[in-house]
Amino acid sequence: MVRIAVNSEPRLLNILRGVVRFCARKAGVSHSEADYLALAIDEAAANIIRHTYGGHHDALMALEIRSLPDRLEFILEDWGPKVCEDLIRPRSLDELRPGGLGTFFIYSFMDKCSYDPNFEEGNRLKLVKFLTRKGAGCNNESSSAKSG
Amino acid sequence: MKVRVRNLDKVSVIDSTGDVDLYSSPRLREAMLAEIKADGPSVLVNMSGVSYIDSSGIATLVEGLQLSRQTKTRFGLFGLRPNARSVLELARLHKVFTIFESEAEALEKIGSVHPFEGL
Repeated sequence: MVRIAVNSEPRLLNILRGVVRFCARKAGVSHSEADYLALAIDEAAANIIRHTYGGHHDALMALEIRSLPDRLEFILEDWGPKVCEDLIRPRSLDELRPGGLGTFFIYSFMDKCSYDPNFEEGNRLKLVKFLTRKGAGCNNESSSAKSG
Repeated sequence: MKVRVRNLDKVSVIDSTGDVDLYSSPRLREAMLAEIKADGPSVLVNMSGVSYIDSSGIATLVEGLQLSRQTKTRFGLFGLRPNARSVLELARLHKVFTIFESEAEALEKIGSVHPFEGL
């Protein structure tokens, strides 16, 4: 299991992407698929920064990655106002407009996406990607980092 | 991410290098929109150095495309790496943008692109 906590700073998103790629590769995921997973987590974290924290860069968010034999679980936590899950839906691709693609990418690259209703202090988003290849996983290692 | 603007004959080329994400996309946006507003006939974004692009980067490119249609500026991308291309394809935007394989092709053909419709 890997857990990393960072400030809601956009420039720290590349750290989250790097951790996701590392764990995905270690779980046997291909380079390109690892990039897609990193994109999905990047989009989810960017949504926290932009929407939950309203662009404030001094709040905290955490990413936990659990590598299981058949899947990777990504848990993103923030301590902002509750997200209304019904409002988070991918937009139609038929309209040409800037923005709104982040949720589409999350849904495209992840197999499951849900909020934990029991996390009362903020929002806990769980994203699951089922593995098609059995890899080493990174659940034998535990690390955490805090930045900001 | 680094952004550099080259003003060639009737074409502005914006070289972007590195990751285009929520943090860095405002820099690309600023340079790109400034060139489109500058009333030059053509603006090209060199994507060959872009190692990663997220939805904020794509939104920036869409904004450039929309502004270019208003200003009747020819607008195109070239040098897309496979990961950036696949993200554009997934979002079904690869047919919306005018995309060239290389700078040489882009410089040769951008003059014949219709400002509203692409090639």
